[in-house]
Amino acid sequence: MDWQVIIANFPLLMSGLVKSLQLTVVSALFSFPLGCLIAIGRLSHRRWLSGASTAFVNVLRSNPLILILFWFYFLVPLITGRNVNDLTSIIVAFIVFFAAYFAEIVRSGIQSVGVRQIQAGLSSGLTYAQTMRHIVLPQAIRAMLPALITQCIVVFQGTTVVYVIGYSELLHTAASIAERTVRPVELYVTVAAIYFIVCYSASRIARHFEKGAA
Amino acid sequence: MNQPIIRVENVGLRFDSFVALDDVSLSVNAGQCIVICGPSGSGKSTLLRCINGLERFQKGDVWVDGVSVRGCQDLPKLRRGVGMVFQHFELYPHMTVLENITLAPIKAKGLSRKQAEDLAFHYLDRVGIVDQAQKHPGRLSGGQQQRAAIARALALEPKAMLFDEPTSALDPEMIAEVLYVMRDLARGGMTMLVVTHEMGFAREVADEVVFMDRGRIVEHAPVDEFFSTPRAERTREFLNKILLKL
Ligand SMILES: Nc1ncnc2c1ncn2[C@@H]1O[C@H](COP(=O)(O)OP(=O)(O)OP(=O)(O)O)[C@@H](O)[C@H]1O
Ligand SMILES: [Mg+2]
Repeated sequence: MDWQVIIANFPLLMSGLVKSLQLTVVSALFSFPLGCLIAIGRLSHRRWLSGASTAFVNVLRSNPLILILFWFYFLVPLITGRNVNDLTSIIVAFIVFFAAYFAEIVRSGIQSVGVRQIQAGLSSGLTYAQTMRHIVLPQAIRAMLPALITQCIVVFQGTTVVYVIGYSELLHTAASIAERTVRPVELYVTVAAIYFIVCYSASRIARHFEKGAA
Repeated sequence: MNQPIIRVENVGLRFDSFVALDDVSLSVNAGQCIVICGPSGSGKSTLLRCINGLERFQKGDVWVDGVSVRGCQDLPKLRRGVGMVFQHFELYPHMTVLENITLAPIKAKGLSRKQAEDLAFHYLDRVGIVDQAQKHPGRLSGGQQQRAAIARALALEPKAMLFDEPTSALDPEMIAEVLYVMRDLARGGMTMLVVTHEMGFAREVADEVVFMDRGRIVEHAPVDEFFSTPRAERTREFLNKILLKL
């Protein structure tokens, strides 16, 4: 074992981690609101809207992330005939894919608030959108905070799939250092430790909110 | 201009094959207080929800201050004109009492925050809980919560108030304070339609009493007549049952 290699490459690893975290944050920041809209669509009385939203969720949840990534990375430029920037296709794929999962979390959160609060809002002359915005969603988000954080952990772990298209997030960075220095054990142990620290801390935060909600 | 504030005409409503309301007709004139009673599942809540367009009915129509619910283009506006008070209060737990009350006046009616708060304090004073304005509903007693909910409905300055069993989720010692507020409202000339089994309140405050059973209005009479000479057998049975329980 030679841990010198980790110390020497630490800044590089950290820049990989930052890229992984950036991708996670950007994805979550956009897939969550998109998920909210889809969840509201699923609960709509308009058949076409709930049908389309349900189809979206089911299709995306029945496919592996890597396939969705391929779709955006290889097929979309092929179909549109335009060159799409790597990072753009990665981010779009992540947003679309995880929106389906966020939608399911938001949907159960909304349902936990209950129809009587909605009726109270509507009966006071608020529109359906205002009722959602001011009455239902604030309560739903509080109830689903632990599940949302857990989902963000899944997004963070999911960022490793961009390895396959050579985007230098944490795993890809570590792999190329391992190859260059021929020190795979040290590098993969270190990377595992970094993933563990990030994910475990986040899950502790989630548990904290779970207790707070109870 | 003495058309009724609320006019329900031959309303019929089915949930799939289950008939929840069967040819229900009822009018509430300005300043009148009408009490509705009847066994569980008889359609009382459903009827109230039809009046402010929360429930779609297949037959008949409802008019609120001359506006047809069925043909209504602006349901939020129509609903603003009808205050609604629920069995379980339905205060918004993530807002203070004051925010509960000002939400709809600001967002639905377009009042300024200042105007809405003045209105809120006026009605909180009226129901006797000004000192609770800054608390969250969870910190209030059941009776205080229901009074806050009444203030919330009043702050929209509605033409009529609908109450759906406003005291049946309350501990006995808190029922009186809510009934007191409602009595005060009725005496002040508010037009009210109240689902309740508080027969003392009905005797004292109501002008007319309606008895519903299985989606139909079985009996509808001026209050004295309703209690002294109920005509339908079902009404007598029901009155015996609840009066014995009290
Ligand atoms: N959305 C719905 N779908 C199907 N059935 C419903 C629905 N809402 C109400 N019902 C049924 O309609 C009937 C009337 O319900 P409603 O709540 O109006 O009765 P109620 O007189 O208010 O009774 P309670 O005293 O229990 O409040 C009940 O049998 C109920 O099960
Ligand atoms: Mg009811």
